[in-house]
Amino acid sequence: MNPEVLIGMLAELERIRELTLNLIERETPRLLPAPPDEACGTERTVFDLLLGARRAVLGNPAAARGLHDLLVAEGRRYANTPDGARLRDGLVASEAVENLRRVWETLSLNVLDGPAAPNAAPDAWADLLADAVIGHGLDDSILARLRPEGFA
Amino acid sequence: MTLTDPRDALAEQSNFIGYLVGLAGLARVVHALAGDGQSSEVSRSDVPRDSDDFVHVLLGLASLGEAIERLADSAKAPQVQPNPPVESPPPASTTMRWLR
Repeated sequence: MNPEVLIGMLAELERIRELTLNLIERETPRLLPAPPDEACGTERTVFDLLLGARRAVLGNPAAARGLHDLLVAEGRRYANTPDGARLRDGLVASEAVENLRRVWETLSLNVLDGPAAPNAAPDAWADLLADAVIGHGLDDSILARLRPEGFA
Repeated sequence: MTLTDPRDALAEQSNFIGYLVGLAGLARVVHALAGDGQSSEVSRSDVPRDSDDFVHVLLGLASLGEAIERLADSAKAPQVQPNPPVESPPPASTTMRWLR
């Protein structure tokens, strides 16, 4: 088996992964909401950008988690410097950061948080997809009453 | 074309400098979020919060941006400029040299 064949196999695996992600999105409409009515111009661009970011995270959980962990580690290092500490204090006190956090959590569905084996998809990612796919059709209004406040 | 048959044209198509400029731009957005230099325009929360992973991700982006701007500064070190424009891409020859 030569390198070209191996790379061809990798490309085929990537195609299968994309198709699987498409299937999951189609089977779970909540992951692929319809664009807002009469959305055009900037609003439609932002909507597509946000959906693209969600797909990038949900479709590449191990890579996204790796990048997330790298940025967190660099951020912690930077926060130990005088400039970094000053910026951290500004970010922590900013309402704009809170708004951005809300956008990010809605977008990523928090799948990058929590435990994860090295170089592997986070547990929260598998849990989310299992919930989205297996839980499809359940009456969530009943489950919602059983769910303690604050739990996803 | 294969991995064992590289072509010079790929170096010309590289957008590596574009990635760096994009990261530096994101870092400036992070500074804007924190209200650096324009505190009157950014609303502040009265409730103190702890810095969590999300804040550290933003700090990580800011740190990368600063490192990139330092790269641009060091490239222009002989000419002393307080705020060198990072948007201007270097000549193609620099890009090609990096790729080789």
